[in-house]
Amino acid sequence: MFIAIAILQKNFFAMKSIVRNFNAFIPLILLTMGQAIVILSGGLDLSAGTALSLFTCVLTMVMKKGVPVTGFYALLITLGVAFIVGIINGIGIGYLRIPPVIVTFATSYMWLGAALFIRPTPGGESVDWFKAFYNFGSITGVSPALEAFGKVIPPSLILLIIGCILWFIVSKTRTGRYIYAVGSNNESAYVSGINTAKVQMQACILNSLFIFLAALFFVGQNQSGDARLGDPLTLRAVAAAVVGGIALTGGKGNVYLALIGALILSFVNKIIFFADIPYAFQTLVSGVIIIVAIASSQAYSLYSQRASLKESKLS
Amino acid sequence: MKILEAKGIKKRFGGVIALSDANLVCQKGRITGLLGANGSGKSTMSKIITGVYNSDAGEIIYNGNSVKYKNPIEAKNDGIAMVFQNLSLVADLTVWQNIVLGGEKKKKLFLDNTIAKDTAKEITDQLLPGLDTRKMVYQLHPGEMQIVEIAKAISTNPKLLILDEPTAALEQAQVKSLFKYMKKLAEQGVAIIFTSHRLWEVMEICDDVTIFRNGANVAFMDFDKDGRDADKIVGFITGGVQTAAVERDRNSKSNESVFKVTNLNYENILKDISFDLKKGEILGVGGLAGQGQHELMLALAGNYSNVTGDVEIKGEPIKLTKPSTAIRNSILLVPGDRQLEGLFLKHSVYSNVIFPKLGLGRKGQPFITPQRKYRKECEEVVDVLSIKTHTIDMPVQTLSGGNQQKVVVGKWLPFDINVLLLADPAKGVDVGAKRDLYEYIVKQVKEKNMSVILYASDTEELIEYCDRLMIMYEGKIVATLEDDDITEDKIVAASLRVGEEEHLEAGR
Repeated sequence: MFIAIAILQKNFFAMKSIVRNFNAFIPLILLTMGQAIVILSGGLDLSAGTALSLFTCVLTMVMKKGVPVTGFYALLITLGVAFIVGIINGIGIGYLRIPPVIVTFATSYMWLGAALFIRPTPGGESVDWFKAFYNFGSITGVSPALEAFGKVIPPSLILLIIGCILWFIVSKTRTGRYIYAVGSNNESAYVSGINTAKVQMQACILNSLFIFLAALFFVGQNQSGDARLGDPLTLRAVAAAVVGGIALTGGKGNVYLALIGALILSFVNKIIFFADIPYAFQTLVSGVIIIVAIASSQAYSLYSQRASLKESKLS
Repeated sequence: MKILEAKGIKKRFGGVIALSDANLVCQKGRITGLLGANGSGKSTMSKIITGVYNSDAGEIIYNGNSVKYKNPIEAKNDGIAMVFQNLSLVADLTVWQNIVLGGEKKKKLFLDNTIAKDTAKEITDQLLPGLDTRKMVYQLHPGEMQIVEIAKAISTNPKLLILDEPTAALEQAQVKSLFKYMKKLAEQGVAIIFTSHRLWEVMEICDDVTIFRNGANVAFMDFDKDGRDADKIVGFITGGVQTAAVERDRNSKSNESVFKVTNLNYENILKDISFDLKKGEILGVGGLAGQGQHELMLALAGNYSNVTGDVEIKGEPIKLTKPSTAIRNSILLVPGDRQLEGLFLKHSVYSNVIFPKLGLGRKGQPFITPQRKYRKECEEVVDVLSIKTHTIDMPVQTLSGGNQQKVVVGKWLPFDINVLLLADPAKGVDVGAKRDLYEYIVKQVKEKNMSVILYASDTEELIEYCDRLMIMYEGKIVATLEDDDITEDKIVAASLRVGEEEHLEAGR
């Protein structure tokens, strides 16, 4: 696949191109990791996209152009909003025991409504240093050393690294273990003395934090908020998680592999874009490729499961 | 010293009264047996003590305080651990992760996995030496899962340990090592509540027994004072009606072949299975647990698409690659794991009984389902098998284990059966219901001249009901016993391959 892209996009290996490619993939990757955590805990988040839009709207509402300190206020306030979003989804899924699809479908309209209330049309202000989440080079008066550093490790990659570290820490704690237990078998986890509702809420909050990181990227890139920005990303993130081997039934899969799933899905879009397929067919073809990718990853996991079963029978 | 006393516990589920007036006393350092027929309220009682269910009335006194746990977490914090009948393991975690689940120790911010692994290893080494604690739970055999389940309960260092039918999935050697460990725990002062349908186990391990019937305790026997009288216990369980063994005329079989299997292979689990089932015969399948008996039953019911071998039914060759083929040829399976394979738990008794009919397709099936006719048939089935249910519209999951199993058998009754496959049909079914079930099947064999293949983990059932018995070992049939040769000694000898040169590994 990489080869195909390299051929189609002639300057693929140019440093600038790699950075640009990665930048374009980062939001989907972050959303996919968040989504993967929720799915692992036995849930599903259909409100991720609109939550992302809401966060960008809140960020750009608080910030005032030319007043750098408002950027910090915006970060804190939006982080608070992210927690509230996670808690509301968590209450619905964990404590009220409403099917996750229904809860998050409903809340997705709440976030959309809130975002539209703040920002009926795309726009808003942003402080200059927020660009740092997208590209150091575009900030006025940045030191050349930092700019050079940003060319090697794009800032958006730093967001991804923050996300990975976040999950690395969580996966080493009880919460990490319990997310798998609850998603795999809620009742077993409950009788083992695990507060299943709390674990599901924690998963929702974690997801919210990943969405928050994605929102930082978009505001850094666009310098504005948009209530319609995230919609198309929701289901793509779910599909990417499944391509990455996360079982929709919960409890099975690896968040880092979900990251690979998001990469694969992103590259698929790239191929289609550069393969000179008529625009009218592009979405159709990408749909077909998603199905093929998911089917093959399912077939692979089925195969490996059988292989391990055989092994256990033999020993 | 009394550690737990439950007084006048009442509990109802919808219209069904599970417990009407239940009392139970547990002493420190003693093993209390909890006995009773299926549906007599043993499991419900255990679940009320641990807070899985809330009681409607009554009082539980634990360590001198009146307690009412809202959930298993509270009970666990107070030192009450329970081994569940329906396993409470998480399939996607490893053995050691499961054992410490809910009680993980921390080292600063992160989990302390070294301690967890050591704890898990230490306990499993005593219960089942050689078990790899790094394995995922879904890779284990049912017996091993049960051991892990027990290890998990023990790992919390409980003061009161409740074991709800822990031995149903275990084989003899595993039961022995479990008993040894239980005795050790009792000596350390742990009170244990032990439930089992196998009377000899209760006789061997328990210090006293409490017997339940229809949701109330009917007897308490202290073995030290009252002596160990099995007949008396059976009397209390069944309510005075003695269990009489079914008398069977073993010479009634004909020589007409119904079901002939030659060189059946399935991956590397079943190897060259061949047999010829005669009309009106009950063919047993025995041996140690996990030697491929379960897979054989599933293969015969068409559950595996990649089996090889020749199968003939009444002389006609068929391909057993789909369950629907098996059912159309009237090869019907009563699976061992009723909750997983045999029932739609959330659907009513009625739906469960008529599903096979609808599954048969158009042939002989009216376009619009004749509800009234089928309901009548269903009620007859409930009647014939004396299934205990309020109405036939009750969800199957509200029934007790034995009654659920009857529904599985019941759904095949309206059919004209060629071969009935019974895969451990009496697993977790009490003495009375077990007798009903087998009596009914034996009657059907005689009347309708149908053929049965029976796999049972309990050797006694095989001895009592089989005309012929095949012993399996590592996926092969290693011996076939007939008529008078079917005795406990010979079965055990054949199962363990006594006299064969092959060496048996420990822990197998």
